[in-house]
Amino acid sequence: MTRILNGLFTLALAAMLASCVSDDTDLADVIAQYQVEPVDIELDFSDLAEAGDVVVADENDPAYNDYVENSSWSKVIEIAYDEGGATVTGTVAGVAVETRGAHVTVTNLSGPVKFVVRGKTSDGSLKFYGDKRFQVYLDGADITNPQGAAINNQGSKSFYVVLADGSTNTLRDGANYAMVADEDQKAALFSEGQMIFSGKGTLNVYAVGRGGIRSDDYIRIRPGVKLYVNSSALDGLRANDGIMVDGGVVNIEATGAGAKGVRSGGVMTVNGGRMIAISAGDTRIGLDDEGVVDTTACAALYCDSLITVKAGTLKFKATGDGGKGVNSKGNLLVQGGTLMAVATGTNVIKKAKGVKLDADLQISGGYFYAYSKRSDPLEVAGKTSVAAGYVTCEMLPKVVTIAY
Amino acid sequence: MARSKRKQLALLLLVLCATFIPTSSFADDAGLVLSAEASHKFSKRLSASFEVEFRSRNSFRTADRVSFGPSVSYKLLPWLKASAGYNLLIDNNREEITYQDDGISYNNWRPSYWAPRHRFNVSLTASHKVRRVEISLRERWQYTYRRSRYIDNFDFDEAEWEDHEVRGKGKNVLRSRLQLDWDIPRCKFDPFASVEFHTTRELEKTRFILGVNHTIKKKHGFELYYRYQLSGSGTDEPNMHMLGLGYTYKF
Repeated sequence: MTRILNGLFTLALAAMLASCVSDDTDLADVIAQYQVEPVDIELDFSDLAEAGDVVVADENDPAYNDYVENSSWSKVIEIAYDEGGATVTGTVAGVAVETRGAHVTVTNLSGPVKFVVRGKTSDGSLKFYGDKRFQVYLDGADITNPQGAAINNQGSKSFYVVLADGSTNTLRDGANYAMVADEDQKAALFSEGQMIFSGKGTLNVYAVGRGGIRSDDYIRIRPGVKLYVNSSALDGLRANDGIMVDGGVVNIEATGAGAKGVRSGGVMTVNGGRMIAISAGDTRIGLDDEGVVDTTACAALYCDSLITVKAGTLKFKATGDGGKGVNSKGNLLVQGGTLMAVATGTNVIKKAKGVKLDADLQISGGYFYAYSKRSDPLEVAGKTSVAAGYVTCEMLPKVVTIAY
Repeated sequence: MARSKRKQLALLLLVLCATFIPTSSFADDAGLVLSAEASHKFSKRLSASFEVEFRSRNSFRTADRVSFGPSVSYKLLPWLKASAGYNLLIDNNREEITYQDDGISYNNWRPSYWAPRHRFNVSLTASHKVRRVEISLRERWQYTYRRSRYIDNFDFDEAEWEDHEVRGKGKNVLRSRLQLDWDIPRCKFDPFASVEFHTTRELEKTRFILGVNHTIKKKHGFELYYRYQLSGSGTDEPNMHMLGLGYTYKF
């Protein structure tokens, strides 16, 4: 009997000592999939080797007028800023240039006119009236307007912003805009009409009052251009009717609550270049017209329409609460190039998603990467289609990678 | 001699049954209850004891609880006993996993963790002997308290570990146990059987026990039993098949 009892107790003791196995579900691999770190997206100011820009020569092509080369620029006026004043050189019939200190107002009733702008002012501006296309040739200009936009075009025709080769130009607005009745000024560099950037220089835009660069029409960016926009208030780069990126190096930082790095109200097409936008603001909480609480999340890229990526490199990162890497109401087509969207923000008010689409996602080429640290990397309300021929097609809880 | 062997065989069968029953039910779990108790009788009415207990789960592979504590009992009447006790319970709390609305994607994972609880109880036991069977009814009120604490929780939405607060809580349970003890003449083993209901606002668990006692020289007591614990609908704990082994030293 004693032997049986001893045996039982020995067995029990052994069982007790052997009870050291955890009964937890092994989720280490699953958690590892959730805790993956994103691809590092930072601004990149390095030079980009780009193929030469092909100027559209066909007058019937809708893009014909977007090329500054297709107009004659024999009419030239030079504006040289020198802190408290501006010296205007050259006259053109039909063009009136008025200076008040370093605040210059141009009324252009002539044909295409080239305005060469140089010099620095910490209390100046450049404003254009007239529905004629014109060119602003920035050649070492540094304009700060404490009361509003540094450059403001009230005309609705093509506004060519040409950056002189090797030049560095800077535009800054002020925290408080002095508004003029019946006129908009929505950004440090604002245009009612389409804005076309070209040249092989650099333009830095710092916005503290409103947006960085904004057109109430469309914006085209051509190869060779180097743009840097830092906006602490509203959107970094915004166009109501669309954005075309043919090339260039574009770096954008937007830190305002609810602000977008890049915002396109129309079709956005990317044919080349390198665009990097980082949105760091949190969700903006306000009241709508009816007094109801309204929340607006940030996005590094926000588009109301179709986005087509044919070539080039696009990198978008949102770090604020609810911030999206890419947020579009239209379809997203990735046919080539690289599109990377990262969201690292929290989900307190809105969900921080890598790519959020209210329509379809179609990927047929290039490289697509979406990441969200705390939410879905990819949310597509419509259909997602990935054409055959891909090398990688990986859809993990926090990362989606598709490569051709 | 032959009868003694039969009893030993019956004992072994009981152990084997308890061991193999776990495989009979998909959702059930199995574990071990080991206990050791030192008891002292101060007078015919008053006695005190100190008990240490260990439990396992997950088919005997995972430690579930370690507890220890003193208790005193006093015979109010020849057929009525009152007792009171305290136990420090150190629980290995089971993991908790919650899922998203789709029922597949993970939402939160709180791994298992060790944490103490304090338990106090008072009991009244009435007993009555009918021939060689003693029938006893024990009513026990127990209060268990745990302190608030922060534990690791993995939030799959946030993709990060975060501190999750397990709030402090006190819980009252009424335990009602009906037990039958047989005193078989010239037998070294005294079988017993009991059923016990744990009631809060609803029936939380029911325990069925079948076992034998064995005493050596009135000082060393052993008990071996099988316990089936049926969990109520309000709890997510599995039903448990438990094999219990206890030792009591009386001095």
